[in-house]
Parts: sequence; structure tokens; C-alpha cells
Amino acid sequence: MDPIAKKSVIGGRVPKPDAPDKAVGRTRYINDMVLPQMLYGRILHADRPHARIVAIDTAEAAKLPGVHVVLTGKDMPRMLFGVNRDNRPLKGDKVRCIRDEIAAVAAESEEICDAALALIKVTYEDLPAVFDPAEAMRPGAPAVHDEKPDNLSLAYRFDHGDVAAAEAESDVVLDDVFDVHYVTHCCMGTSCAIADFDTDGKLTIYSQTQYPYNFKMDLAPALGMHPGDIRVIQPPVGGAFGSKLDVYPYEPVCVLLARAARRPVKLTFSREEEFINAPTRQPARIHLRTGAKADGTLTFRDVDCLLNNGAYTSWGPTTPYVMMRTFSSHYRVPVVRFHSQAVYTNNPYAGSFRGYGNVQATYATASHMDMLAERLGMDLLTLSLKNAQESGEVSPQGSVLADCAFAECLTVAAEKSGFLEKQARYAAARNTPGRIKRGIGLASSIHNAGGAKIHKSDGCGTIVKLDDYARCTVITGASEIGQGIDAVLCQVMAEELGIPMSDVTIVNNDSAIGPWDVGVHASRTTFIAGNGARRAAQKARAQILKAASHQANMPPEGLDLREGWVVLDHSGEPVVKLDRLLRQMHFQKDSELVMVTDYYEPPSEEERPGHVGDMSAAYSHAVHVAEVEVDTETGEVRVLKVTSAQDVGRIINEMGLEAQVEGGIVMGLGYALSEHLLIQDGRVRNPNFRDYKVFTAPEVPEMDLHFIESHSQTGPMGAKGIAELPTIVIAPAVANAVYNAIGIRFKAPPLTPEKVARAIWDRDHGAVAAE
Amino acid sequence: MSPQAKGTLDEYRAPATLAEAAEALADGKGTVLAGGTDLMLQAEAGKTPYRGRLVNIRRVAGLRGVTEDGGTIRIGALTTVTDLLNDPLVAEKAPVLAATADKFASSQIRNAATVGGNICNASPAGDMILPLLALDARVELASWRDGALATRTVALDGFFTGPGATVKGPEELLGAVLFETPPAGRTARFVKSGPRPALEIATVAAAIAMTVDGGTLRDVRLALGAVAPTPLRAKRTEALLEGETLDGDLIARAAETVAGEVNPIDDVRATAWYRKHLVTIYVRRLLQDDGKG
Ligand SMILES: Cc1cc2nc3c(=O)[nH]c(=O)nc-3n(C[C@H](O)[C@H](O)[C@H](O)COP(=O)(O)OP(=O)(O)OC[C@H]3O[C@@H](n4cnc5c(N)ncnc54)[C@H](O)[C@@H]3O)c2cc1C
Repeated sequence: MDPIAKKSVIGGRVPKPDAPDKAVGRTRYINDMVLPQMLYGRILHADRPHARIVAIDTAEAAKLPGVHVVLTGKDMPRMLFGVNRDNRPLKGDKVRCIRDEIAAVAAESEEICDAALALIKVTYEDLPAVFDPAEAMRPGAPAVHDEKPDNLSLAYRFDHGDVAAAEAESDVVLDDVFDVHYVTHCCMGTSCAIADFDTDGKLTIYSQTQYPYNFKMDLAPALGMHPGDIRVIQPPVGGAFGSKLDVYPYEPVCVLLARAARRPVKLTFSREEEFINAPTRQPARIHLRTGAKADGTLTFRDVDCLLNNGAYTSWGPTTPYVMMRTFSSHYRVPVVRFHSQAVYTNNPYAGSFRGYGNVQATYATASHMDMLAERLGMDLLTLSLKNAQESGEVSPQGSVLADCAFAECLTVAAEKSGFLEKQARYAAARNTPGRIKRGIGLASSIHNAGGAKIHKSDGCGTIVKLDDYARCTVITGASEIGQGIDAVLCQVMAEELGIPMSDVTIVNNDSAIGPWDVGVHASRTTFIAGNGARRAAQKARAQILKAASHQANMPPEGLDLREGWVVLDHSGEPVVKLDRLLRQMHFQKDSELVMVTDYYEPPSEEERPGHVGDMSAAYSHAVHVAEVEVDTETGEVRVLKVTSAQDVGRIINEMGLEAQVEGGIVMGLGYALSEHLLIQDGRVRNPNFRDYKVFTAPEVPEMDLHFIESHSQTGPMGAKGIAELPTIVIAPAVANAVYNAIGIRFKAPPLTPEKVARAIWDRDHGAVAAE
Repeated sequence: MSPQAKGTLDEYRAPATLAEAAEALADGKGTVLAGGTDLMLQAEAGKTPYRGRLVNIRRVAGLRGVTEDGGTIRIGALTTVTDLLNDPLVAEKAPVLAATADKFASSQIRNAATVGGNICNASPAGDMILPLLALDARVELASWRDGALATRTVALDGFFTGPGATVKGPEELLGAVLFETPPAGRTARFVKSGPRPALEIATVAAAIAMTVDGGTLRDVRLALGAVAPTPLRAKRTEALLEGETLDGDLIARAAETVAGEVNPIDDVRATAWYRKHLVTIYVRRLLQDDGKG
């Protein structure tokens, strides 16, 4: 046989293993699932922001043929859940926002459920409501939770250095308020759960969750169950983006219906329900002061952040935890003061959403850098490079920036886009005739790229087994929610074990099988699960090579695995076929199976009191340059091109990487320009895709993507986490570009046509700007 | 939404001829289904409850297609928006309809949405209505009277009485929309707001038809969408333009006049201020031959 050369699949273009089924419509999403005997569940929502529940009459609904169960909050003990333990599956005595779950029905069809809901009579006594967090803080404001008369939900503080002293040394201080808005995830698959009990009272829940292991822990208190009695199955989902990183009331409600009905129950949101009842991104009012010396050196950032908590507390109000990292580490900032408060109101509430606070914070920091450059008469690239950290620098919060490629990202994005030349040219053309103006804007940010140790462990377990045919199964704690981890794990196995990627099966949809993992968040999965899978594969490899070395009578170090063979490492000469060797190992006297486990814990730290600690095992930067065209009459902003340079550590799957970056940019463009969940007096005014405008395919600009490989020493094969930065950076790049085009600064996205047109009109007619 | 609000359907008919369709509607208790792209959504939302009998007119023969006869163009009620986009007669004689179709919804919706449905739905933001108003179109209404098919013709200008309301009775079916073939030299244009090239419900839309005769404007028709309770003919602005020489001063005066002629509202999609602002911009663009949205 011919020798077999060494080949690597890392950095290749690998289609996602789930893509063909999705493309031909074969994928059975959770929304498609039907279990034998299954009933359907639906929830009666309050549809009013603040009220006492005086009486609920379910008698008529319960009598309707086909109805099996009608539940209300009065039927159950006060089981609290959520980040602040302030939420209940069904509300008993009080309504705190329009989402509130008042009653639920399980019936033989969704139509019967709807008919039953219409027969439920609820008597409310409306209460004065409060929707603005600043108003909610005033003495005498209505208390959303009677136990919390001051309406204060969560506060964060980080103080590093002396702001007053730093300010005294500053030549320039910028002082602005940025108001970032409500948006929602718009997953293609609406929220859905199926609950099924065994006769012995153990629960199986089919769920869209992106954190199956802690999900059990968070769900259990809402049910009065032991987490160990809950099994989570994760069928394919139509997107999550952070919206499934917590327990939301519909999930325990679905379970409670199933328990009462003694039948499986499926509960699915309609699209309208999804817009009204699914979590949002956390809106924020960010008062940012930035100081600098005349030469551009940043001297301090001073931030007060006010968050509308809404009625209950999911992850949204914890996003300042990430925001403060942005304010303290996006560029070298010696002195930082960050205070935030989340205040209860009668609004709907926010969860986690791709970027987790950094989208909001970067809108402020990256806008301020652009404003600072203009104030100082410097160009933005020079200013940015002057303040960009280098490898080895440590941020005020203790982030150690190893393998840092910030400066390179800045230079590449600026050069490839012609940023400086165009910015000067477009600014000069601002006051020339013509209704279409062009602009170009640059923005950057930093994000954790090696997990985030927000729990005691940020680890991931992996089991790798090889069967008698050299087919490999990877059982991992890491969930696949569409982001592409399955492809990466196939590549890692192929690389370490010398087998084709098509011989690898990934199992990661059952909490009874998979080992623990924190969940898909914080851009962590490729980094953490990739590292874990690699270590497991290396253990399997060592076991195989040891067995082979007995056969070949040479040390295992002299052997390698290539294309399904054990070969001599130096020459590539085949020694024994892998499947044959595995069978020999198996069917011999001292038989052994190749079946290894690994639990990978990244080398990161939990924050110590005072929010200091190196919470991620890697950090990364991205720089976007957006080029836009503004119609100065209609206010329409068209994005022509986005140039992106991102430190990815090392490319593992180039196709997956492109998809994440392109998708992230498109999602961020919606945030920048068109998406706005309009909440007025606590009510969602645009719960449909007609009036909630996600970015559509024809609007998507040309994208020129550059991947900078900094070779992380901690990442799998050198890779860093990449998935959130694209969404984080693009919005301020667009806002900076619009400024370049028309000279108006938008501190409150989205830059809708009306907002832009109004600002231009106000300026040209001498009125006070609308912002 | 409670099921009562949707109304109940206890009968379904799929007539094959116009006469059968008219008969099925005779008692005023039928709901017409064409493409269903408005009806299904509105009925589900409880906005237009079903009347009890669903009359699917999609199988009625002879209601689809564009024809020309004796200087009159006739568009059957079931002609889809996609049909208009691809029809050679439209491309040659009334290209403004294809231009409007191009800005209408998305491919999927255009394949189902009918011209008759767009007119009968009577939305102030109905796109196809505007160029038809500008072309002085009229509609043919069929009904079952004294055991026979009867038709009457009504001018489109005056057909609409409020949001979702028209002079058409519940027993009447819209069979076709007709207009005189525009003579050579007649110009017609359409503009619609929104940076989205697809799937945008107009914040404001406008259509114009006019003849520029040696620099002088003749027979100006200006139709505006989403600025009043019905699609609107801007007759004061038309009168201002009539017989005048098209120049910068006239365009400025037209923009000013039209702003005083519309009566838009604040809603989720835009404020009244922005709608007025857009109308003046669009009138300028329509007159300046700059149809870009
Ligand atoms: C996603 C989406 C995007 C859209 N985008 C646009 C857009 O860009 N521009 C636009 O103008 N509209 C748009 N619409 C609205 C809709 O598609 C159009 O109004 C369409 O032309 C309606 O035609 P239809 O055949 O579907 O009507 P249907 O829904 O079948 O009927 C509409 C109404 O008219 C009545 N009706 C229909 N035909 C007749 C008839 N021949 N005689 C008597 N009564 C009749 C029905 O009873 C019903 O009340 C959009 C709709 C959707 C869902």
C-alpha cells in the first residue's frame, strides 16, 4: 500500500451536518413533534399592565367538550423562580405586566384551548402603573412587587481609580446619554415545550433550552420538583440567540398542565404571542462620560446606567456584568467608575440576547470614540491605535489580554475599506448639493472569547467512543442550537483520530445521556466544548496507539492515525487498519473498548468581590467599517458595504465562521436601523413582522470579511470564540457612518427613516433636535 | 382571539361561473375569498368576521387576465400581482402597473394577491389602487337580480368610502377593473416609501398620470396612499398643475398644496408629520421624473 500523507481538516470549509435535512425540510423541529395521547396547552395572558386579580371564573371553560384541565394561580402554592425569585408560573393575586400568565388550559386541540380561554372570566381591579425606570424610583411610585416598595431590582458597581483626579488631568471630557431600545430575538421557531410524565412522577421535557443542565435546576423550584427527576430532551430548534437561556413561565405551565392532565402536553406560542411574551434585549439608558488628553490618551470612563427591569427578573438586568467589562476594557482605560441600577416597572422584561450587554455598551463606547476623534481633531484610526491594548495587558477588571490582535484588526479593517480617505472625502461632500449623501464609519469592540466563568464551573463534559467499525460517537454537553458546534466536533475527531468527518455522530440532545455543560452562551461552545472534545479524542488516540504499538512492536510516538489507518508517523506507511485494530482490541482475552471521558474546565477565574478576575480564558476584538448612503429627504439609510476584521484565534470551520459573522452583522443591522419593539404604556404595539422590521435579504449589504489568526494559546487548535462580536460592533459603525454622511449623531438607535428625516429637518429648520 | 370574533363559517362554495358566484352572494351573507392574503389575516384577527358562507371565487372562469378591446384595457378581478408584473400588454400599454407590482409585497404574496382583492380590501395603503386611480379606472360590479346576472360600473374615484369600506354591496362581486388605453405620450409613475425593497406596507405611496404637452401639463391625476382614510385623489394639487408649465416653481407650489390636502394620522408605522413630509417629497419626485423610492 502507498504511504498516507498527513492531512489537516482544520481551517477547511465544512458544511454543517444538520444542513441537508434542514434544506430539504426533513428536520423534525420540536414544533413539529406529536406524542401519542398528546394534548395542547395555551395560556391566558393578562393584557393589562398592573391590576389586582379579584376573581377568576373557569367554570364555563372547564365544561367545554375536549377541555381536560384548566389551571389558575389560585390552584397552586407560591412557587417562585427566576434570577430574583420574583416570578411564578401562573399569577395568583396580582398582574404586573401584560405578559402575566393568569390561567392555562389543556385540551384536545389548540382551537378548543382558544375557545376555552375565551370562556374564562377574570375580574381585575386596575392599579396605577409605572413604565419608566426613573419614575419608578421616585418615592410614592406604584410598587410593582409589594415586597419591594423602592422597585429596586439589581445594582452593580465597579470602581477603579479616582475619577475626579483623572478628570482634572483631562483636556477633553465628553458627556452624553445613549438610549438603547427594545428588540426581540425573532427566532423562526416560536417558543415551544412538550411535557411528559412517567407513571412514577418523573418528568421528560422536550425543550428549546440552550442550557439543558442548569435548566433542570432552574425549572425544578417552579414545579416543586427535584432537579434529578427532570430529563431534558432537545429536539432541533429554530433559533435561540440567548432567548432560551432561562426558564420562562410557559415552560412550568406546560409541565403543570401535563401533570394535572396525566397526558403529554405541548404548548406553542403563536407569532403574536411570541412578540409579546418572549424576552427582549435589555434596553438601557447609559450616561457615559469619557475623558482624554489632548494627544488622545483616554483618561477615564464614568458611567451611570439605568435599566428598565420590567415586571420580573430574567437575565436582562444582569447584563451590566458584561457592560462593565466593555467600559473597563474596550481600549486602555486607566480609571473607571460604573454604576448601574435595574428598576422594576410594569413593562415586559428582558432576557439574554447575543452580545449580553455588550451590544448596548459598545453602542456608547464606539460612538464616543468617534466623537472624541472629531473633538480632538484626530483621525479615528490613530486615536484607536493609540488606545488599543497589546498582548499581555491587563484590564482594570483583571482581564488578561493574551494573544491580542486589536491593532491588527483596526489596521486591516481601515485599510481594506479605504476608511480614512473616504471619511475625509464624504465629510467634505456633506454640504454640497444632492440629496444622497455617503458616509463611512468605524467601530470596534472586545468580548470574552474563552467562555465566561459566571458559575463555579464553566466546563463541558465529553464522552468519545469508537465502535468495531471505527465509527466515532461524541457525546457532549454542548448544545447545537444552529450555531454549528456539531461540524466543529466532527472536525476535531477527524483531526485527532484520522477518520472521515462523515464517520462521526454527535449526540447532544438528552440530559440523561450527556455530561454537564453550562450552556450555549458567551461565545463559548467551540472554545470550551472544542477543547474538551480534543482532549477526549487525544485520550482515545493514546489508547489506540498504545494497542497498535504492541502489534507493530514500536513505540506509540512513532505512530499516527490517518485516513482510517494506523501508519508510521515518519513515512506514512500503513501498519494496520483502524477498524481491524479496534476489533482486535475488543475481541481478545483482555478485551477493551475505546470509550473515554473528559471534563474540561477552562483556565479562567470567577470574579472576586469588586468584580475583579480574569473571567474568560481568552478575549477577542472585532472592527467593522460600514459604508452607507443616506437619503437626506426621506431619511432612508442604505448600507452599501461592511468590512469586518475579527480576531478569531484560528479558523476551524471557515464556512461556519462566515455564517456566524454574516448572520451576526445582519442581526446587528436590524438593531441599528430597523428593529424596534415598540412598548407603550406597557403594551407591545407592533407584535408582527409587518411592523417589527427585521432586516430582509435584499437589504443585506456586500460584506468583506477578514479573519485575523492570533493563535490563542488556550483555545482549541488556537481558536477563539467568535459568535457575538459581529452583532456587537456593527450598530455603532453604522451610526458613525451616518454621522460622517450628514453630521448628525444618533444616540438612540434604531436609525429609522423617520428618525433620520426628522433630525435633518429639525436641524435645517433650526428646531431643537428631536433627540 | 376568541373564536366568536372570527365569525363562523358554516358553508363553503366554489362557483365555476360569474352567475353562480353572484347567486351565492345574493343574500348578502357570503364572504368572498380570492387570494386570501388580506382576508385570512383579518378574519383570524377578528377585524373582518366571516359572514357565514365562504365563496371561493378562484375557480370562476374568465376572471383572470388582461385584455384590450376597442381602446379599453380590462383586468379581470382574479389577475394576480405577479400576472401584472409579467403581462406583455401591461408592459406595453400601462407599465406603471408593473412598476407598482414590483414594489408590492414579496414573490410569494404577489403570486396569490389579486387586483380585485386589493381594490375590495379598500386599504388606504393598497398599492395597486393608486395607479388605477391615476388611470381613471372604473370597476364592474356583478350581482344576482331578479333571477339574472346584473352588472353596474362605478368609477374607482368615489368607490372608497372609508378604511375597508366601499360603495360595493355585500351581494356584489367585483368582476373587472377597466380603463381607457393611455394614449401615446401619457406618462404614469408610482413611488412608495421604505428602504426595504420587499415586504413593506407603504408609509406613503403615490401615483401620477399626466401628459406633458410642449412643457405644459394636461390631464394630471395624482393619487396618494396611506395619508387619508381612503386612497386619495389630490384634486386641489391636480387643479394647480393643470395647464401649467412644469418648472421648479410649479413643483414647489404643488408640494406645498399637497401638504395641505392630506390628512394623515399618527400610527405605529409613522407620525402624521413624517407622512406629510414624504408626500411632499414624492410629489416633487413624481413631477421631476425621479421615481426612486
Ligand atoms: C406579507 C404581506 C405583504 C403585503 N404587501 C402588500 C403590499 O406591498 N401592497 C399592498 O397593496 N398590499 C399588500 N398586502 C395586502 C394584500 O396582499 C393585497 O391587498 C392583495 O391584493 C389582496 O388580494 P387577495 O386576492 O389576497 O384578497 P383577499 O384576501 O382574498 O380578499 C380581500 C378582501 O376583498 C374581498 N374580495 C376579494 N376579491 C373580491 C372580488 N372580486 N369581489 C368582491 N370582493 C372581493 C374579500 O372578501 C376580502 O374582504 C400584503 C399582505 C401580506 C400578507
